[in-house]
Amino acid sequence: MSRRDASDLALLREAIRDTGVSRWAITRAILAGTMALGSAVGLAAVAAWLIAKAAQMPSPADVALAATVVRFFGISRGLFRYLERLASHDAALRGVVTLRERAYDRLARSGAGTVLGLRRGDIVARMGADLDAIGDAVVRAIIPLGVAATVSAISVGIVALLLPVAGLALGVCLVLAGVVPAVLTARAARIAAVAGAKAHAEVSAAALSAMDGATEHRVWGTLDDAAEALRGADRDAEHAHELAARPAAWAAGFQALFSGVALVALVALGVLAVRSGDLDGPSAAVVALLPLAAFEAVGAVPAAIMQYFRSAAAARRLAELVDGPGAGDATVPREAPAASSLALDALSVAWPGMTPTPPVSARVEPGQVLAVVGRSGVGKTTLLTTIAGALPPAAGAVTLDGEPSSPADTGTVVAMTAEDAHIFGTTVLENLRVARGDVSEEQAWEALALVGLDGWVRGLPEGLDTELGAGGRSVSGGERRRLLLARAGLAPAPVALVDEPAEHLDDAGADALRAFVSRMRAEGRTVVLVTHDLSILDLADAVVSLDD
Amino acid sequence: MKPLDPRLVRRIGPARRHILVTAGLGFVTALLILVQALVIARLLAPILSPAPLADDGLHWWGRIVPEGARTPATGLAVLAAVVLARTAVAWLQERLAHRAGVRVISQLREMVVDHVATRGPRWAAGGRTAEVATLVTRGLDDLLPYFVRYLPQLALAVTVTPVMLVVVLGLDWLSAVIVIVTLPLVPVFMILVGLVTQERSARHLEAMQRLGARTLDLIEGLPTLKALGRERGPAARVRELGDAQRRATMGSLRVAFLSGMVLELLTTLSVAIVAVTMGFRLIAGEIGIETALAVLVLAPEVYLPLRNVGTHFHASADGLAAADAAFTLLDEEDPARARTPLGQAPDLRGAPLTVTGLAVATPDGTRLAPGPLTFTAAPGAITALRGPNGEGKSTALLALTGLLAPDAGTVAVGGAPVLRDDAAVDEPSWLAQVAWVPQRPDLGPAGRTLSLGQRQRRALARAFESGRPLVLLDEPTSHLDRASRGEVIARMRDLAAAGATVVVATHEAEVLEAADAVVEVTAARVEVAS
Repeated sequence: MSRRDASDLALLREAIRDTGVSRWAITRAILAGTMALGSAVGLAAVAAWLIAKAAQMPSPADVALAATVVRFFGISRGLFRYLERLASHDAALRGVVTLRERAYDRLARSGAGTVLGLRRGDIVARMGADLDAIGDAVVRAIIPLGVAATVSAISVGIVALLLPVAGLALGVCLVLAGVVPAVLTARAARIAAVAGAKAHAEVSAAALSAMDGATEHRVWGTLDDAAEALRGADRDAEHAHELAARPAAWAAGFQALFSGVALVALVALGVLAVRSGDLDGPSAAVVALLPLAAFEAVGAVPAAIMQYFRSAAAARRLAELVDGPGAGDATVPREAPAASSLALDALSVAWPGMTPTPPVSARVEPGQVLAVVGRSGVGKTTLLTTIAGALPPAAGAVTLDGEPSSPADTGTVVAMTAEDAHIFGTTVLENLRVARGDVSEEQAWEALALVGLDGWVRGLPEGLDTELGAGGRSVSGGERRRLLLARAGLAPAPVALVDEPAEHLDDAGADALRAFVSRMRAEGRTVVLVTHDLSILDLADAVVSLDD
Repeated sequence: MKPLDPRLVRRIGPARRHILVTAGLGFVTALLILVQALVIARLLAPILSPAPLADDGLHWWGRIVPEGARTPATGLAVLAAVVLARTAVAWLQERLAHRAGVRVISQLREMVVDHVATRGPRWAAGGRTAEVATLVTRGLDDLLPYFVRYLPQLALAVTVTPVMLVVVLGLDWLSAVIVIVTLPLVPVFMILVGLVTQERSARHLEAMQRLGARTLDLIEGLPTLKALGRERGPAARVRELGDAQRRATMGSLRVAFLSGMVLELLTTLSVAIVAVTMGFRLIAGEIGIETALAVLVLAPEVYLPLRNVGTHFHASADGLAAADAAFTLLDEEDPARARTPLGQAPDLRGAPLTVTGLAVATPDGTRLAPGPLTFTAAPGAITALRGPNGEGKSTALLALTGLLAPDAGTVAVGGAPVLRDDAAVDEPSWLAQVAWVPQRPDLGPAGRTLSLGQRQRRALARAFESGRPLVLLDEPTSHLDRASRGEVIARMRDLAAAGATVVVATHEAEVLEAADAVVEVTAARVEVAS
């Protein structure tokens, strides 16, 4: 699937199709919006007729109906606006839920390399704020544009019925007041997206550098230079913003101009038509005063265009996440054998574009332990990701039971516990069941006892059913590590990879790691351990170092 | 929340100027709307009146637009002029608002960054840097819609609305009464709706946030699930949570949109009532057509700014919240203790640096890292600080720069104290003699494009070539290859040979071998007084 070349418009259209929002839901919201703004137009028209008719001093019964209609429009505007907002938000929210489920599913099915390479902040921003921005395209772009079209058509229709030439004049002005600002706004949005984004990135870099490097700047006496760099970046950003603001200001000016031109034209045509006897007074009043209400709907066009650009950018970012490199290489998970040996053969690893690690070789049998050491940042985590099959080797090979590792092995043959593995905002038990869905309470207690956490869990208010993480009980760094070890031990895969963080391990943590390793050994499982604790190295059957 | 933060007006020049300009443009707009309405009444009255118009229906306001405007040529010319002027004002308003908005954002950003930059490493260790970084890179941008959308409407609400009210009063007192009675109903009803629905919407809001957090939790955990082969199940759970969240959100919107409906209902309905009332009074001959037309056109203009202020309320809330966060930060007291001045720094050249009992508490206050640390760094020698991560090697170096006040201990040069917890020598004269290379050197925005290794080499070169007598190096070889490491060690030796005092935090064997003295750095638990 190569959608990277597709235009943002196409991507947004596709994303909106994926929301499954029905045409009927959108039509219903546009209808309600049309009734709301149409009420404003209707109120202006009928009130103008009523006043003009009344000036001829007819019997009150002649204007009774008009008076009722005016009152009706006075109420219906607020009512229909309320219904429109509910209908549009409901449609958009349903769409976002569907889209989020689909995007999650697509991402879950895409290659292990894609998923394990995701940065936490990225995935949350894409699946959260960006998906909401796609929903906003329905509420703030599609529906207002639809309403602008229908209400404008109604206004033109009313005027054209009374005086065709005036209808034509109003139609031309409405189209110009919609289209010209739309084009200018699109231009502003494009300038902002290119020049503005670049300038903004430079401001961010200068601001962060001035703050993060503050101590350095003070030592070297460059504090003023850093402040000057930020001021310079700010001036550039202001200039870039000026470039984008110029067409936006013209858009505002043209909206005022075209609605004003329509007013002048229709007042003139109305007055002339009465003088030549082509039109009665009340009809002329409708023609002359309708432009005051008719332009409210097209006034929403620039904001709708801005929203469209924001949503399209969000759709592109989402497409890049969901269809990034490695998407579509989804594989049928492999049937896991009971045990598996592991061999690294002159293996060198790297994420694309990075410097490969020095080659390492090692072989461990079921029940054996391979330890990986090396300086921080040297590529130990990348090595684990490669062994897990999620990343192809830069050189050399990883073999599991004699077969080269592949993405199909991730999670099935090889279970990996990353340094920053997630503790879910759910109960202790459910957090352990992340490894295997059918973990019984008994097995959970056993796993916790192994890493010395049973006492801690017994002390929690609801034991195994205590909620942890976001919204629940906070977990300390040491407890977190040991909980992740307990989880790693419960995963059924024959090969377990455990990435211990670089920080110094406390005694309880070291004991837990030792107990974990001997249990895995007893179960005949293969363990690869990234560690800094030299006492653990004694437990290893083989050690590879990534330091040169 | 207040519609306008007084600190913006008081302390940010461009904001103050722009608010005055916007208010001025608001009055111009009010005048133009007034003239437009009066001209329309002048132009249409003759064609709608059954008899020739005898009186001036615009009363006192007829002085602004004389009766001559009843002739189409004159009236249309005035109307066209008004249209052009309104076009110019709309253009100018938008242009100035953007310009002022970005100026205000830049200025606030520069103020916050300056403020944070002088806060010192102890503040940075307090863990609020991420929050401040978000504020200066993204948060303050919310002020732009505040300036471009909200402020102009606010200005119109305080100019156009009262001006139009006075005009309507001068034209037709009964219509003015209808308007004056309904206007206060708008805030009254909105507050009533708010009170009645408060509890309900708080409940929905809480449910929304809870469900939203759970969904994000599942999304965040996707890589973990994939690594354990358990990624297939939760999509359905994402759907369930999403549906529950949608129901909660719609529940709260049903309530939240009520106040918007009340606003629209009251404002539109009162315009309708004004129109209908005038209709029947026209029939009864109690009011002239010219007056009625002017009031009909003006009545919606009284309410329009109020409606728009309501529409842009959210833009205002986000922008003001960002400004509030910035001002709160700027007004925080500097937590750094004032240190007694000890005069000019002595010349470091050739003098031994003695550190006695130096200790710094960690931000959570549970440990001292370094724990009390005592050593002497001799000039012409390399002194290595060794110890596991987190024991306080980097913090000890920071304390030696003088920018981090220790919690205990003394640094002395040739026997004279220069840095203590409560006293320090003149900062510029001390820093002029100190070269310091942190673990991840910054080197300014240009340095951000370089790799960590390149940045480290450049920062080391700057320190080596500075000629400063005290050189503090934090893990100088950690991101370098073997050849560069050898070179760095050779340069350190050269510096020492030239008489500099070199203090290096490291755990690399090669560096330790090259050192003349090795000092163990260990943290200590803070004894809790019972």
